Order: sequence, then structure tokens, then C-alpha cells
Amino acid sequence: MKSIPRFPIFHSLAVARILGAFLLMATLSACATKPPASNPMALAAYEEANDPLEPMNRTMFKVDAGIDHVLVRPVVKGYRAVVPDAGRQHIDTFINNLRSPITFVNDVLQGQIRRASITLGRMVVNTGMGFFGFWDVGEKLGLESHSEDFGQTLAVWGVPDGPYVYVPLLGPSTFRDGFGLAVDSFLIDPWEWYSRGTGSLDWVQWAYLGTTLVDKKDAYQDALDELKKSSLDYYSALRSSYRQIRAKEIRNGAPPPLEDFDQ
Amino acid sequence: MTTRAISQIHQFLRPFAFCLIALWGLGAPVMAESWSPAMAEEAKTDAALFVGSFAQKGINDILAAPIPEAEKSERFRAMFKTYFDLPGIGRFVLTRYWKAASPAEQDRFTKLFEDVVVYTWSRRFSEYNGQTLKVVSQQPDGDDGTLVKSTIIGNNNSHFGVDWRLKKRPEGYKVLDIVIEGVSMAITYRQDYSTIISQTGSFTGLLDQMDKQVADLKAQQKK
Repeated sequence: MKSIPRFPIFHSLAVARILGAFLLMATLSACATKPPASNPMALAAYEEANDPLEPMNRTMFKVDAGIDHVLVRPVVKGYRAVVPDAGRQHIDTFINNLRSPITFVNDVLQGQIRRASITLGRMVVNTGMGFFGFWDVGEKLGLESHSEDFGQTLAVWGVPDGPYVYVPLLGPSTFRDGFGLAVDSFLIDPWEWYSRGTGSLDWVQWAYLGTTLVDKKDAYQDALDELKKSSLDYYSALRSSYRQIRAKEIRNGAPPPLEDFDQ
Repeated sequence: MTTRAISQIHQFLRPFAFCLIALWGLGAPVMAESWSPAMAEEAKTDAALFVGSFAQKGINDILAAPIPEAEKSERFRAMFKTYFDLPGIGRFVLTRYWKAASPAEQDRFTKLFEDVVVYTWSRRFSEYNGQTLKVVSQQPDGDDGTLVKSTIIGNNNSHFGVDWRLKKRPEGYKVLDIVIEGVSMAITYRQDYSTIISQTGSFTGLLDQMDKQVADLKAQQKK
């Protein structure tokens, strides 16, 4: 039986090299010009955005919009036409269940033992009683789902999010969250260890990649379209929304910080 | 490996999916308890009741009302002006630029912002199908402020959080901000608009772009 050829991009080493090259390109590329101190309004806006790589990020944002138009959107349209709402929900639940070990490890690293036990409980119940994770039995038992990653763990440990980065297909991120993603993917994820050990599961990886992409794009496409319509500069609106969503995830349900509306 | 990476970054974006529904679910809510005009008086002093009253009025008079779309958007405009503190939102969204602007510019901004919100939201009113809002809690939020937490419950049992930042003004509570699954309307607009001001180099540049956006949104509504 002929095995499916391995694509070098799926070797960890190759991925690490690409990430390295990307970061090098990022640091070498033209940076946004910092406004002079004589223009305090522009300077404050620049600092709030924390996006020194903005010119490169905007280029990547355009590239992503192109990929979205020719590839992702038509695929999502087909997916919605073929798979009914309920089916898409089950696929989403399944994918989230596969990633729950990462949430569990990060719950523990953050010292959140209660949340870790909820994650573990969901993993066991959904895999065992929910037909390998397609049914969210945990939710029905009052175990509410949440998601953790190493970027959030670093934040809890006091690491600031750093400059904003936009990567085509992956979407918005920051230096801290990008690093966290690498740690989750290469060091924490048990599926990664498993497939590295067996080394023969390329088709599974491809299928998983495709399904995940389509599932997530399906889940947020309408909301992103809405954000695009309601904003003047979609890039800035998305950057701001991303940071706020991350801040909320890191707070784990604690109330948001005060905003002074009467300044 | 890359597969995992993509799945994780997309986790971050999931809440966006809910923002959409939240925006039109907003006016939607039905409080299970009966509602009386006397309670409307009480709502002036009780933040949770204020949010409930806004929600109830939104569903009865706008979302579930058998009236033409254009009428719905005008009713929403009236409600938005009554319940929201527009100058307060303007001050927050424009921060330093608000103080530097002339009263005429501030006025023009407030009117345009009102149009942006009214036309963005009212495009989706026809999609309303029975979502309800439940007030979860309220807590103090700075001077004269209250943060009301609520949940919007959809008919497929989906639920997501909407937080209301209220401020007590002489005439009663006013909404300053709505935070949908962690994303604040005011903060998002603030960053969006400050980018436009930097790009165009002036406050007038922002106003002109808003003008154009309102025209586009209006045109879409007629179709």
C-alpha cells in the first residue's frame, strides 16, 4: 500500500524554521513610524494599539482576505449547504474535545485546580458517553466548557501580550500568544507526541487541519462580517476585539476593569 | 502540528460568532415576570430593572412588532437616544480628540454615530426569532456606575454574555457601553476611529468617512 507523501511543512523542525523566518522577516520589515512626542494624541493612539509591525500586518491581512475570498468562503458555503446546523455543532464539540488536554494542562499550570477538574470531567464524560466527543454530555451535567492555552498561562504569570501579529489563515495574535501557541502545539499537545511517535498519521493530520479550519471559519464568519460592516477600519476593529476577547479569557469571568467615561 | 496550531488560534475567535446574534438579540429579551408602568418608575433607580425595561420595550415595540422595517429603525432610534448617553459615549470613544473638537464638530459626530448604530443594528431586526435576555447580576462600577451582567438565550439553548455599563445621570440611568462576550462596543469604536483620525490626519477626515458609511448603510436598507 502506497503511503501518502509527507509534506515537509508538517515536520516540527520545518515549522520551527518557518516561524523563525517569519519572525526575522517581521523584525527586519519596515516598522510603523512612532509619532513624535510633540503629537501626544497620535502617540497615545500608537501606544494603545501596540502594533509596531502594522505595515507588515496589514499586508498579511490583505493576503488573508484574498485567501478567504477564493478558498475559505466557498468551502464554508459548501459546508453549510451540506451539513445541517446540528451536525456542525457536533463536529465543533468533537474538535473542542480533542483539544481539551491542552486546556487541562494549562488549567493546572495556572493553579486552577477546580477548573482543571471540570476540564478533566468533561473530557472523560464526553469521550466516554458522548460518542468520542461528538455529544456534549458534560454541559448537560453542568460542567461548563472553557478554553485555556499557554498564552493565557503566560498572562497569568505576568507576561505582557507584546506586539500584535496577523498571520494569514491563523488570524490575529500577539508575540506572547504566538509563543504560547508553539508551546501548546509542540510541547503540551498529547496528539502531537502521539503522531510524532507513530509518524504515520499524515492523512489524519490533514483531515483534522481541514475540518478545524472550516469549523472555526463557519463559527465566526458571520460575526466578522458584521464587525467589518460596522467599522470604518476593519483591521483596527479586529485588532481591538482580539485583545479584548483575550483579556476576557485571561480574567476567567472576573469583572472587567473600570473604564473612565467621565474623564 | 500545524493543524493543532490553527485549531487553537481559532478558539480565540469563537466568541465573535456570538456578537452577531447578540447585537440583534439585544433588544430582544423577555423578562419572565410581568411588567408594569410602575416598574418603569422604579427602573430609574434600579440598574437591573433598567436593563430589563430596555429589553422588554425593545422586543414589544420593535423586534416582535408587526410594523415595517423603516418604522422599526425609527423606533429604535428614539429608544437609543433615550436610553443611551450619546455625549458620554462620544467623549469616551474620541477621548483626547473630543476635547480638541469644536462644539459643532462634537454635535456632528454625535449625530453621525447615532446613525451608524441605528442603521447597523436595524439591518438585522428581521432575523429576530425569540431570543430572550436574563439579567444575571449587578455590581458597582466606579462613581455612580453600575455593571449589569446579562445572558442572551437563543432557541437552540445557546447563551452568551452581554454586560451593560450604566451611569446614573440626573434623569436616571443611561447606557454608556455594551460588552458582548468581552468585546466592548465603546473600546472597539475608539480604536477604529483613532486609526481613521491618524490615517486621514484630521477629525474632519473621520466625520467624512462616517458620512459615507451612513450613506452606504442607508442604501443597503432600502434593498
